[in-house]
Amino acid sequence: MQRRTSRWLAAGALAASGALALTACGSGFSSGGGDDSGALTSSNKALSVLIGSSGDAETTAVKAAVADWSSSSGTKATVSAASDLAQQLAQGFSSGKPADVFYLSTDALAGFASNGSLLAYGDKLSNKDDFYPSLVKSFTYDKKFYCAPKDFSTLALEINTDMWKAAGLTDADVPTTWDQLETVAKKLTTAGHVGLGIGGEYARVGAFMTQAGGNLMNADSTKATADSAANVTALDYVKKLENDGTLKFAKDLGAGWGGEAFGKGLAAMTIEGNWITGGLQADYPDVKYTIVPLPKGPAGAGTLQFTNCWGIAADSPNQKAALALVEKLTSADDQLAFSKAFGPMPSIQSAAADWKKANPTLVPFLDAADYAKGVPTAKGAADVVTDFNSKIESLATSDPKTILEATQKNLEALVK
Amino acid sequence: MTTPTLHRRANPAGRLILGRSVLYAVLIAIAVVYIFPFLIDVATSFKTESDAAADPLSLVPATITTAAYEKLFLNSDFPIWFKNSAIVTIVVTLGRVFFDSLAGYALARLHFRGRNVMFAGLIAVMSVPAVVLLIPKFLVINQLGIYDSYAGMIIPLLTDAAGIFIMKNFFESIPQSVEEQARIDGAGTFRVFWSVVLPMARPALITIIILSFQGSWNELSHFIISTQSPDLTTLTKGVASLASGQLSQGTQYPLKLAAAAIMTIPVAVVFFVFQKRIMNSSDGAVKE
Amino acid sequence: MTTIPRQPRLSERRRASGIRRGEAASGWLFTAPMLILLGLFLVIPVLMALWVSFSDWSGRGSPFAGSVGFVGFDNYAALLGGGGLAEQDFGTALKNNAWYVVLVVPLQTAVALFLAVMVNRQILKGRGFFRTAFYFPSVTSSVAITVLWLFLFNSTGAVNKLLSFVGVTGPNWFNDPAGILHFGVTTGPAFLENSTALGIPLWDWLGGPSVAMTAFVLLAIFTTSGTFMLLFIAALQNLNGEVFEAAEMDGASGWQRFWRVTLPQLRPTLFTVLTLGLIGCWQVFDQIYTGTRGAPGKTTLTPAYLSYQAAFQDQQWGQGAAIAFLLFVIIVLFTLLQRWVLSEKKVSKRRLRAYRLPETEGGVVAPTGEIRTKERP
Repeated sequence: MQRRTSRWLAAGALAASGALALTACGSGFSSGGGDDSGALTSSNKALSVLIGSSGDAETTAVKAAVADWSSSSGTKATVSAASDLAQQLAQGFSSGKPADVFYLSTDALAGFASNGSLLAYGDKLSNKDDFYPSLVKSFTYDKKFYCAPKDFSTLALEINTDMWKAAGLTDADVPTTWDQLETVAKKLTTAGHVGLGIGGEYARVGAFMTQAGGNLMNADSTKATADSAANVTALDYVKKLENDGTLKFAKDLGAGWGGEAFGKGLAAMTIEGNWITGGLQADYPDVKYTIVPLPKGPAGAGTLQFTNCWGIAADSPNQKAALALVEKLTSADDQLAFSKAFGPMPSIQSAAADWKKANPTLVPFLDAADYAKGVPTAKGAADVVTDFNSKIESLATSDPKTILEATQKNLEALVK
Repeated sequence: MTTPTLHRRANPAGRLILGRSVLYAVLIAIAVVYIFPFLIDVATSFKTESDAAADPLSLVPATITTAAYEKLFLNSDFPIWFKNSAIVTIVVTLGRVFFDSLAGYALARLHFRGRNVMFAGLIAVMSVPAVVLLIPKFLVINQLGIYDSYAGMIIPLLTDAAGIFIMKNFFESIPQSVEEQARIDGAGTFRVFWSVVLPMARPALITIIILSFQGSWNELSHFIISTQSPDLTTLTKGVASLASGQLSQGTQYPLKLAAAAIMTIPVAVVFFVFQKRIMNSSDGAVKE
Repeated sequence: MTTIPRQPRLSERRRASGIRRGEAASGWLFTAPMLILLGLFLVIPVLMALWVSFSDWSGRGSPFAGSVGFVGFDNYAALLGGGGLAEQDFGTALKNNAWYVVLVVPLQTAVALFLAVMVNRQILKGRGFFRTAFYFPSVTSSVAITVLWLFLFNSTGAVNKLLSFVGVTGPNWFNDPAGILHFGVTTGPAFLENSTALGIPLWDWLGGPSVAMTAFVLLAIFTTSGTFMLLFIAALQNLNGEVFEAAEMDGASGWQRFWRVTLPQLRPTLFTVLTLGLIGCWQVFDQIYTGTRGAPGKTTLTPAYLSYQAAFQDQQWGQGAAIAFLLFVIIVLFTLLQRWVLSEKKVSKRRLRAYRLPETEGGVVAPTGEIRTKERP
């Protein structure tokens, strides 16, 4: 038996020494990437751009803009559309080989900024004063302006004009209050299509919450306000419409998102953001529609605002070129071109007038920016929102108060 | 051994025929359930999107169209995925055949200190479920610097404990006399292994080839954690991204089903070619 | 067991010299690739994961760097009793996977056994065809089958169309989060709703798998029954026909023969099939990743996918590793439990007495009446 024990000891020693060896070669890793002296890295390496595309229109537009910059600057750059942006970003950061430039959403910012994955280059931008202040606020973490907002969108109400006319409705019937929305949705619901078809998630239902005067968190994302009476009112309203059969979630209609349900004629109205223009143009060009502001709720007008920024990785070997690329992509010309291709509004104030002129039918989106509220940006909020979304899917048979109380608990755990 | 004579029951012939027809009917019904989904797969890949949505059960497209296949081969990265899967599968299969038989032979026939400990360790390692390895394999691959490269995709898959186990069992069943003879004739250990024993191991090698081919062609989680670049995506990862995730906008079923169908063809071919071997290799695999 | 003088003993003595000289070196050389590869990619990762699960590594740099702290059981505590989202997600994942296992393992074993018995009949023609048909789904990739399943179980798909032929409106399979054991009841009795285990109300625990999970259950049975069918066929073919003859002559009916003669002899294979089934089912990942990714309503979330998601999406590496190890423990427990349930139990003394021959002095009384001295054959 003695031989056996000594063999096991030998095996154990081998394993332990292997682990130690990994420690040794691992510790050489840790010191990299902590350069905050302000200097940007520079090299001849090609840039990689990772985007979370909403469809072919967006991918093509971004590729064209990046190719344009590539030929004029002489640095190669490739664009790839992510199948799962959050996961690909996280895996890239952990492996030390992230994309150089990428879409970064407001809820991903806190997580990646806190573990040092991002370069805070906001103050180095030549056009940094041109961005809307509320957008800059969304991308400021720990008092540092991290990344340039690339565009923004708000939610508005899209109406299928053919179905509208077929239901005998006119311009005067455009809903401006919740009651009017309810009536109109009822009139528009037929055997073939439902009155209002929206995505079953906070990013849509939250608009109603803002119209009732509430939201999941306060403006700074420092306090959780999920269980407010206003939110309960909003969810009760949505639940009522759902039970009346005049509102259905996209999944229940067999569609991936509200735009698809709208484009396929499964819903007469939908609540979506600017991106719907590009999506409909590409996949459902025959649908005729108008865009109107969302109706006012008990507390007045309200809608949600969404924005993403161009993140630059702290581990990127060519940050200088990345910065130059981002400056070009946020210039007025490029942003207006993107807007034309797939819909979102420019994040710089100087382009607002041109945009309104070029898109007279989309003005409700830009006007909504005056009263739009942002989504929670606290670290870990994205998970809580995902959990909230999973509960919302069965809103028709659940109790809004319970859902909101659970979400409140989860959010409070984040800001403790 | 005498064949046992069956005790004939005095059944009227009619009852026997009824019993048999019921048996066939049941089996045919179940076989249809098992085969039909694949027929639907191929049929739908030749339908238009609206046809697929409107008439999901029919095996005959209203209008036969190859639009899905065109889009797949001309407008997507599918050829790259196929190429990557092929490269990885072939290299891994060859590697496993070589390394598994080497290790199996050593564990079966060569006497050296630590052999028993090694074998016990092999069994222990076989029992670790793959899910525990998902995160740490990523960490190790990253630390070794082979992340996001063919090396990272291939090297970790080059041996597998089950294959070594199979080869060891097989080598133990070969009579030792042939090896002894070769040694007496002066052959070294590797020579004995390579020229004498390995050719005799054909049935087991074929089993390893089949299992490795299937295993690496159908592998998904390892490729998720070992690559991130679109150039290195394999068929499994690519088709999975078609099915869910941001790139799966819309319900382009003919496209997705065409991808699934083409992905299945190589394993199906290997399956049909080696059918007899697969069906019979489970004999003796269970020794409890 | 009779022993034949073993050849190897002779050559073992000759090991140190002559023709077996280089054997030890060759032995190590031959197994070196295996040792390196399995050590690097199986053994060390497990140790690394163990460390990460006890640390607060955030995802950048090496997990062994000096800045990474040891947090003891914090990650495990958050999962098992933290009261927050982590615990709820873990509870949900466990609940989903437990129901999946409870449904899949018995059903796939039963289906595999049934098919094996059917296909093994001597009078059957075309046996090869049937075996091929039933085994084919097992060779295909889980990704391909999941894509196919997403199409078949669409709300307007083939399965619902088939159901409509018999007058049943099929559910929106992959988008329906309702538990099938709830039978449409939306809120349960108060005491079940309010008491929770791992953050999930008992009412939800008792709800069974969701409709979406049920579609995955069907997928699992479809793809794995073929493999196990082959194992059963091999075992059935190894059975000795004489025992069946004896049972038949003793008057046992077909069902009794199956239950009392065939099945007990299949015990080893049954054990293998159940063990493989358990281990496989508790790790279901590919289908979830390809198909629903936890949706609808987190009812297809499984611990394996949760571990992946926590680490690779949320950058909670410590928690992801902790989930993986907890899953490991669960699998080991279930395997041991199953082994204990299936083990050959000793026949009780009371039963044994019925089989003992009556004793007198000098020996036992044989059925023929004579007295035999007690002897052990």
